[in-house]
Amino acid sequence: MDIRLTNYQSTSAAGVDLAALRLALQQQNSGLRKNDIARSSLTTWIGRVAGVEDVDLGAWQSRNNALAALGLEQGTIKADVHGLIGKYSAGRIGLVMGSSTSSIDRTELAYTDLNDDGLLKPEYKQELVHNPHAPSLFVAHYTGITGPTLTINTACSSSAKVFATAARWLEANIVDAVLVGGVDTLCLSVLHGFDSLQLVSTEPCKPFDEHRDGINLGEAAGYAILQRAQDADVQTGVCLLGYGESSDAHHMSHPHPDGLGAKLVMEQALDMAKLEPAAVNYINLHGTSSQANDYIEGSLVSNLFSKDTLCSSTKGWMGHTLGAAGITEGLIAADTLLTGLVPGSMNLTTLDKRLDFNISAENRQADVHYAMSNSFGFGGNNCSLVFGKVDE
Amino acid sequence: MTTLACKLLAYGAWGKGFENWQDLQNILQGKGHNESMPVSPKPEIIPANERRRAPLPVKLAVESSWQATQNAGIDPKELSCVFVSGLGDTQLTDYMCKVLAGEDKQLSPTKFHNSVHNAAAGYWTISTSCMKSANSVAAYNESVSLTLLEGITQCIAEGVPVLLTFFDAPVSAVLKSLLKNETPFAFSMIIAPSDSTYEGLTLEANVLQETTAWPVFSSHYDVLDNAYNENPVAKVLPILKHIINKDKSALTIPLSAATSLQLLVS
Repeated sequence: MDIRLTNYQSTSAAGVDLAALRLALQQQNSGLRKNDIARSSLTTWIGRVAGVEDVDLGAWQSRNNALAALGLEQGTIKADVHGLIGKYSAGRIGLVMGSSTSSIDRTELAYTDLNDDGLLKPEYKQELVHNPHAPSLFVAHYTGITGPTLTINTACSSSAKVFATAARWLEANIVDAVLVGGVDTLCLSVLHGFDSLQLVSTEPCKPFDEHRDGINLGEAAGYAILQRAQDADVQTGVCLLGYGESSDAHHMSHPHPDGLGAKLVMEQALDMAKLEPAAVNYINLHGTSSQANDYIEGSLVSNLFSKDTLCSSTKGWMGHTLGAAGITEGLIAADTLLTGLVPGSMNLTTLDKRLDFNISAENRQADVHYAMSNSFGFGGNNCSLVFGKVDE
Repeated sequence: MTTLACKLLAYGAWGKGFENWQDLQNILQGKGHNESMPVSPKPEIIPANERRRAPLPVKLAVESSWQATQNAGIDPKELSCVFVSGLGDTQLTDYMCKVLAGEDKQLSPTKFHNSVHNAAAGYWTISTSCMKSANSVAAYNESVSLTLLEGITQCIAEGVPVLLTFFDAPVSAVLKSLLKNETPFAFSMIIAPSDSTYEGLTLEANVLQETTAWPVFSSHYDVLDNAYNENPVAKVLPILKHIINKDKSALTIPLSAATSLQLLVS
């Protein structure tokens, strides 16, 4: 497999675009703030993206679509999609989006303002918004992509799996380029849903810390353009080398106690990339800051990888962005190949005493040739990605 | 143009008027529908205590998936899977949005984790101890076409048999003005690589750079005909007619705004 990332962009609380994200990572500036989402009095910290409220999309309006649009306006991602449409035709460009909330934020709002008969008011009669495919329907509309368009909704692994599906479509030659993306927004369903599971921290999250006590929720949009190596006219210098996809077969909301599904995806991704664990220079861990995830993932990494592999969770910068976490963190991992800036694990003071791997609160500079990113979701749905430097 | 090919191994089905693949074949062959249907599927593979808490879309999906694996004689642990619902679980959406519109926003933790789109994939892999890749996708009115594409490309790229399950349940009252579906429908098929030793019909798929409309479908059973128009995943029905009749003519269905999927069964 030789799949190139020819452009990528990221929008989160840590930065509205890739340049702002790099700066925030470098300066260790967290985007987390106290919860100020309308109609929620939950005491917690969130990664809210400023400016989403100002995006007006008319009949396509939802917070999720607004964040999707804001993300597409960053850098040259939209211009590059248009360039590819000109080169190949819109029908040969695929679109695969990952999301867990789709536009449920809009449905929540509609329910606060039903008419006297308890039905939707006219401004909320948005057939293409109130359904799980909404992110792709909107992004296809916004970019002009008319090729195969799919939404993957596997909770928090959604936008990691988009890379696997896009790679298969490119290998099967049914498209010449794929825009992959992930978008999820803060809404009451996720804030109060995770709170019902007693997984939300009242403080800024502290992944892998001995005293961690839960997650912070965040929102993000991320995009990458993928092409077969021989078709890639422009290069970022990053390629997708491998992916792994598995199921825990254990529980809807608790990870497998021995992390069997998580172990499988890391091994599969390494196999596909033809790499030994020791070759991996950096792993961006799922690291939600929940008791169970961090202990299980940390134990696996302690056992599978050597002390030479640098590790961190970057959720201290923008929170857990759920269905957008796969691509947001995949791109942070991929970007270390270009910058050499390995982000620290923000807010880590004392590593969980049961864990033993190379993690640090401080940023580190390293020559990164291979980077991995882990994403694990509800339903026991796991995905791991391996990125590498393009050989010159 | 690249032709994508796989083998068709076995099927499962549950919906209004049919509780298995044989019932659905009977309807499609004009032999009438099952008039002594239970109200809801009762997938025996889900442990009883879990089944009580499982939402209808999950039960639909797991029942037809289980039937397909039983019919194929394949251990579910061997199958990667792709689950598709074009509408999602609107009853759970309704529950959550009603609670969240009120003052006390305390959600049921079980209902929250059941509200993820991949709940069916989760229940399936947990019930069958399947640790393979489980995808959960949506593509609204093109859900059937995109799921076939996702399943076949995965089958070819990974060289593994894949379970595809299409399911959608009736829509909640509030969203019914937009998403009209009133009919439960679930269908599963198991596909395998062309060069595998499994026996079955061959399905070929080509992505065409041209648009097409959904084919006219009629079964002489108005419940199924309505489902075809309103339930995104019932759009699989014309393909099933081709499979049952071993119809070798090309069937072309919409794939995206500029493309269509040409299917050939042989």
